[in-house]
Amino acid sequence: MSSVSRGRFPVSFWIGSVIVFVLVMVALLGPSMAPYGVKDQVKVHSTVVDGKDVIVSPPLPPSAEHLLGTDKWGYDLLTLLLYGARYTLFTTAIIALLRVVLGTIIGLYIGMAERRQNWWISIENAWSYMPVILPVYFLLVRVNINSPLSETELTLFFIAVVTILGIPSAVSSVRQKTEQIKEMPFVTAAESLGAGREHIIVRHVFPQLKEQLMIVFVMEIITVMSLMGQLGIFNLFVGGTLQTFSPDLYHSMTHEWAGLIGQSRGFIQYKVWVFFAPLTAFIIAVAGFTLMSKGLQARYQMTYERKPFV
Amino acid sequence: MFKYLMQIIGVFLLILLVSGLPIMFGIDDERDVVFRPEVLVIQSADLLTDLSQGTLGTYWIGRTERSIADDLVSFTEQSFILLLSSLLIAVISSIVFGLFLHHNRLSRGVKRVLDFLSTIPDFIMIMFFLVGAIAFYQMTDIRLITLSPFAEGGLRLWFPIVVLSIGPTIFLLKMVDLKYYQVGGEDYIRTALAKGLAIRHIQLHHVYKNIKPFLVADLKKAIAITIANLFVVEYLLNVSGITRFIFGDYAFATAAIGLGVLLLLSVLIYGLIRGILYLFERGFIYE
Repeated sequence: MSSVSRGRFPVSFWIGSVIVFVLVMVALLGPSMAPYGVKDQVKVHSTVVDGKDVIVSPPLPPSAEHLLGTDKWGYDLLTLLLYGARYTLFTTAIIALLRVVLGTIIGLYIGMAERRQNWWISIENAWSYMPVILPVYFLLVRVNINSPLSETELTLFFIAVVTILGIPSAVSSVRQKTEQIKEMPFVTAAESLGAGREHIIVRHVFPQLKEQLMIVFVMEIITVMSLMGQLGIFNLFVGGTLQTFSPDLYHSMTHEWAGLIGQSRGFIQYKVWVFFAPLTAFIIAVAGFTLMSKGLQARYQMTYERKPFV
Repeated sequence: MFKYLMQIIGVFLLILLVSGLPIMFGIDDERDVVFRPEVLVIQSADLLTDLSQGTLGTYWIGRTERSIADDLVSFTEQSFILLLSSLLIAVISSIVFGLFLHHNRLSRGVKRVLDFLSTIPDFIMIMFFLVGAIAFYQMTDIRLITLSPFAEGGLRLWFPIVVLSIGPTIFLLKMVDLKYYQVGGEDYIRTALAKGLAIRHIQLHHVYKNIKPFLVADLKKAIAITIANLFVVEYLLNVSGITRFIFGDYAFATAAIGLGVLLLLSVLIYGLIRGILYLFERGFIYE
């Protein structure tokens, strides 16, 4: 860490940025890069190997034709991942962006208010003890499975729900920082020179917040991704779950990565590629954002650090 | 007193509201949004009448109907053991590694490992631990964990406890570490050091005392984190805990009872840990 000089981004930030850039490209161009159509299916068939008839039945292991193999129903996993990437990436990015933007606006105004807004602070406190997965789970459990709504509508519903439920925590961090900055001498100076509240917010407080907001944005992306993963375990997939009965099976409608992990949980021991392909993709995505946030935090700490005496 | 009463009523209503979301809000086959708050009120009233008469009703697992009252005690006990042990691990290790062994090489190693683990989402970590433990069993025939809820003894519980303790430990250790930096830079620490007080003495009497309010404040948050992880841990590791009521086949009464019990458990555990910290101070600081 000590090798990082002030004001420069550490290596972890750049590695993370490259991963995130590749992910964004995959999300944008995924379907056109996919080797197969999203509906192309390998059915059970027989081929001749060494002069003998051999029955081929999915899931097929990774091979030259199917780089990551196929799932239980013969769909090419690489194709599914390329189609699902946009749901994973853009849903999380939109939620994180909305949370940060709305949180900043509300947090700045509440933080700059003349008197402490006790009603809001008690909401913040109460909400900080509520694991967000609970209300999200209970809102989705009757809506998301075998829903009459389309994939887009369900994704938008998910975005709305998760954004709104996450706003109090985003507001909280902005508000606290704003209250600190409000006490600084330069704000008092601006006030005594006759600056209005809007002017102080835009010219003096917000510029001090910018670095932190970037960190909060990346951290929110990670939070939302792990929330999606947890929901996937409980068979609630972004963009809808298709449940088929006897046996009870759950399928992700959008092939979103956390959903692919959730639906292939049964393959943790046997024909593991079905499970590990989406898991690896998901881990790489999380790692990219984590490295980015680590880099940002390290730079921030370097800039404002104070050394202890003991 | 009035304020506390209001808070308790507010929390109680919040539990009913959250667990009642599925019966209150839905989308029917004609794609219309259904919003029926009155169903929630009726069912809450039913639940309260049941409770006041001392019965809890029944719930369904698959196609068997079971009595809630029969399972409630054993489920609660399981969750209580998991929550209390993992939070104790978190509190103790954050104080030991973050404060007293702050400059120790071992503690730096622990921090580095936890720093790495904190980048992996919990549910992925649990799955990796599972795969690892099964692979270990296949290679050596030594059984580290078991997922059978009927198994007896420590073999069944140590693994969920360890997995569950990782989240709060990371959170609390990070906080203590950060506060150590801030408190360690204060002038009274420099004065104490200049007067020749021993490092251990300064850590115990000056640093710990000034970190403790933050530790207590963040303890509530740590409990919230542990409970959020408890959902995934109990579900994936097949522990028959209280979250069965919440994430099993949905029924309003079961979900509300499950959430209520979970809330009572967290209050109880908060009190217990505060008590243990108090004893620690009585024993070592104020003697």
